[in-house]
Amino acid sequence: MNLFSDIVVRSPWLYRINAGSCNGCDVELATTACIPRYDVERLGCRYCGSPRHADIVLITGPLTLRVRDKVLRVWQEIPEPKVTVAVGICPISGGVFRGGHSIEGPIDRYIPVDVNVPGCPPRPQSIMEGVLLAKKIWLDRLNGIAPGHKEERHVSLP
Amino acid sequence: MSDIFSLISQSATGLFHLVVFPGGLFALLFGLVLKGIDRKVEARLQRRVGPPLLQPFYDLVKLASKETIIPETANKTLFMYAPLLGFTGMAVCLALLPVPGVYYGMENMGDMLVFFYLLPLPAIALMVAGSSSSSPFGALGFSREMTLMFAYEVPLLLVILAVAMQVGGEGSAEFSLRKIIEYQREHGSFGFTLSMLPAFVAYLLYLPGTMGVPPFDVAEAETEILEGPLLEYSGGLLAFFQLTSAMKLVIALGFGVVMFFPGTVAGGPLVNIVWFAAKCLLLMLVALTLCKAATARMRIEQALSFYLKYPATLALVSVVLAWVSL
Repeated sequence: MNLFSDIVVRSPWLYRINAGSCNGCDVELATTACIPRYDVERLGCRYCGSPRHADIVLITGPLTLRVRDKVLRVWQEIPEPKVTVAVGICPISGGVFRGGHSIEGPIDRYIPVDVNVPGCPPRPQSIMEGVLLAKKIWLDRLNGIAPGHKEERHVSLP
Repeated sequence: MSDIFSLISQSATGLFHLVVFPGGLFALLFGLVLKGIDRKVEARLQRRVGPPLLQPFYDLVKLASKETIIPETANKTLFMYAPLLGFTGMAVCLALLPVPGVYYGMENMGDMLVFFYLLPLPAIALMVAGSSSSSPFGALGFSREMTLMFAYEVPLLLVILAVAMQVGGEGSAEFSLRKIIEYQREHGSFGFTLSMLPAFVAYLLYLPGTMGVPPFDVAEAETEILEGPLLEYSGGLLAFFQLTSAMKLVIALGFGVVMFFPGTVAGGPLVNIVWFAAKCLLLMLVALTLCKAATARMRIEQALSFYLKYPATLALVSVVLAWVSL
């Protein structure tokens, strides 16, 4: 069983959700994928276009009122087991948008976040470190050490 | 009594060809390794490190471990059987794939036409998948896949016709792959024959279209229509699509090798299998990997007019040259 889960975590497919981000973090995510020096594909990662294919979901942005329901719905579409990474300071605390009239964040009011990658925007190195941490959490979840989302808590659509 | 024995031995060899070699196990392992090499070389061409060589195997194990979701609004039966349609089509097709010097498929029948009819099955499976998943992106992918298929099937048909007419001679055509291999053993490989060169180039251009790699990945464009027909698939069902794609890679490359470079080397069957695999690998690196690493996606109407203009014309030139037997 251990060997099986060791192989499973070698293929983390990444999915990006933009929860009202200013695009700074999204540019950094693209950098992480495209610039040879960082190249997340060496970890077996691949950015996929469909939430159904995702294993690790990267959320950027402070969760604005307009996208809240859509983000929660897309997050629920992702098959279990999944790991959630909040990229940038916005999903963690609201960042420079904190206290705004249309800000529904921080994001862990609605979604269980596993890894926080702070920064405005975070450097590609820290994004990659976040992905590696997410891989570890995924492995623990497969081995039954860390609790999964299903037993942990339910996301209720407001 | 002897009839029954021969029947049993016949079906046993048939089963062997379907499950072990050249179909089934051999093709799956070979196709997945080819995909791994493809991704690694593409990354190196772009100065990246790239994934490990066995990445396609890891992906499959991962997909098997994931939850499979079937959308409520989808047509469940079609949604479940679409991946199997492509998979079984490719499995049958692989059992007929000749490996020069080792195995000759259906011997004297017109198996080239069987290939022509079986090769589009994965594309048809994608169409069924896209239309049954009840997602607008799936429907978009369905229409794009269909348009693209009409575009690249025309040059393929002309390439097959050119090769068949060259072998048949005097205005007739020969659709048996065994005869085609034997003809080239006597008269030299078509890859080095002047009149067949345009057809070979047309086949090289056909490969990226049928495999759905850039610049012809319009049907599964993940950045514009979210992987189109595959959008709603997850877990084990998605793994089936990946397996089908790996098998189709072996068939498309092997078919090209048989049509244009079927030469054998001295030595046992094992040497010839390795020789065949090496030729497939070279064909893939030239036609798919280089093309993938260097180009960006076309729009659907650009892909359509490209296929109907250049590869079709090239193949037609070969047909005419074979017809006047140059």
